[in-house]
Amino acid sequence: MRLRVLVLKEWAELFRIKMVLYSCAFMPLLMAGFAGFMVWQGRTLPPEAQGPLFNAALLYFLILPVMIPATLGVYSVVGEKEQGTLEPLLATPLSDLELFLGKSLVAVIPALLLTWGVFGLFLLAVLFMMPGGIPEGVLSLPWLLSIFGLSPFMALFAALVAMLISSRASDSRAAYQFAGLAVVPVLVPLIVYSARLLAVDLRFVALEGGILVALDVALLYLGIKAFRREEILIRWK
Amino acid sequence: MIQTLGLTRRYGERVAVEDLTLEVKAGEVLGLLGPNGAGKTTTVRMLAGLLAPSAGEAYVAGHRVTREPEKVRPRVGVVPENPGLYKRLTVRQNLRFFAELYGVGDPRRVEEALALVGLAERAEEPVATLSKGLRQRLALARALVHDPPVLLLDEPTSGLDPEAAKEVRDLLAELSLAHRAILLCTHNLAEAERLCHRIAVLKTRLLAVGAPAELKARLFGRRIVVTLARPAPGLPQVLNLPFVRSASLDGAKLFVAVEEPERHNPLLVRRLVELGAEILYVEEEERTLEEVYLELVEGDRAA
Ligand SMILES: Nc1ncnc2c1ncn2[C@@H]1O[C@H](COP(=O)(O)OP(=O)(O)OP(=O)(O)O)[C@@H](O)[C@H]1O
Ligand SMILES: [Mg+2]
Repeated sequence: MRLRVLVLKEWAELFRIKMVLYSCAFMPLLMAGFAGFMVWQGRTLPPEAQGPLFNAALLYFLILPVMIPATLGVYSVVGEKEQGTLEPLLATPLSDLELFLGKSLVAVIPALLLTWGVFGLFLLAVLFMMPGGIPEGVLSLPWLLSIFGLSPFMALFAALVAMLISSRASDSRAAYQFAGLAVVPVLVPLIVYSARLLAVDLRFVALEGGILVALDVALLYLGIKAFRREEILIRWK
Repeated sequence: MIQTLGLTRRYGERVAVEDLTLEVKAGEVLGLLGPNGAGKTTTVRMLAGLLAPSAGEAYVAGHRVTREPEKVRPRVGVVPENPGLYKRLTVRQNLRFFAELYGVGDPRRVEEALALVGLAERAEEPVATLSKGLRQRLALARALVHDPPVLLLDEPTSGLDPEAAKEVRDLLAELSLAHRAILLCTHNLAEAERLCHRIAVLKTRLLAVGAPAELKARLFGRRIVVTLARPAPGLPQVLNLPFVRSASLDGAKLFVAVEEPERHNPLLVRRLVELGAEILYVEEEERTLEEVYLELVEGDRAA
């Protein structure tokens, strides 16, 4: 209940910031647009060449679940710090864990909804563009697992990195730039996917998933430690 | 309602508050005075369940801040040093948000709190467009929205114009009548004197606590000021009365500490007239709270 109140307040506030609106409204459309354009360009290629093309297009949908939470995570912590709202917030019955979870959800939920939303749009567009529909073997299980299975862990990773960095950074611009570190875990699939093109197999998705889960658990631990009242009041500057 | 026992807080090596023992009863306003860095804000934070004491204990609204801070927080309203409002949200959104976090379901409470601080007409404006004083009032509304029995106010009238400050003071006076315990940190001594039933002077340690009149009497004793028509050097030395504890002359003003003014003043006046003094006024010396405060704080520095 208090969690919901916190999350709704954050969104009401965050979506009034231009930079946030830009990355949450414009970037997803841009990414889906790029992906669609690639497919459009390759619509006359033979089916076996279209597979790699789709794989490359997929990458755009793995950037979104990292980019959006990084932006939201930084602003939701920096915003409280700059406005000095942490003290009254901490004086309420909100628990430390609720605050931490609330801030994480604020960043993760829109990222996933937007990623999956524009992914749906992209598939619809492909159906219209490709005379023969989506080529055989492209919309494979590993492909779908990447989009639907890996992205929540990526989004959580990016949100936690952003929140932890901005809780410590004394300057919001520095925080925003450092939060770019959150793209590291997508660089891995980026390299692998582009090196091996079509061969996105289940083993790879499971490996990437395992790494992300381990990173997320470590960051959750650090986050819960950092989001303690005393810590916030005394050390966050 | 508020009781502290040997409350102490250290930040690393630095002691911010040391061995503070205080009580604020329901219906009482206690003024917490002290120089910058005296530990007022630290005290408020400990009582609000925000900072753990390094030693000692405090009971706030029936709960221990060390054991059950989560039970203390809903029963306390805090106006922190910095109002800390969401500038992009409107006045009403800000207040609704905090009301909901405090579990206040009834939206009418929000409207009442807004009306109480005179912000009902500006409820739809973003906080960014409010002046400093109006923000301070919104912070006060936020501290009141869940109707807490304990109020902790860290300089709530700083930055307000005289009229707004008076409104806030009148409001605080009313709130204390409703059996709330109020701790008011302030640098405004006139405000403390007008509003607070008792005053505590803090400088890391508690230097003194008591009603303003009590502190004045305790620190300075009661003195009579006799204003003469012209300076009369040597007069204190020739007074020669058994009940006069001390006497001194400052220009045409004679300061005399007598044991019991009600009994001894007439005798003093008769003696002065005998000595040929021309008396214009006789009055009891008015000490200001400022003098009390400075005496305590500077006395502590000398010690
Ligand atoms: N987060 C902190 N870390 C280290 N020292 C602190 C911290 N907060 C306060 N202090 C120190 O504790 C002491 C008491 O500070 P506090 O803010 O409680 O004073 P104050 O009475 O509220 O002062 P002011 O009148 O300036 O508001 C000061 O010496 C201050 O420097
Ligand atoms: Mg202070």
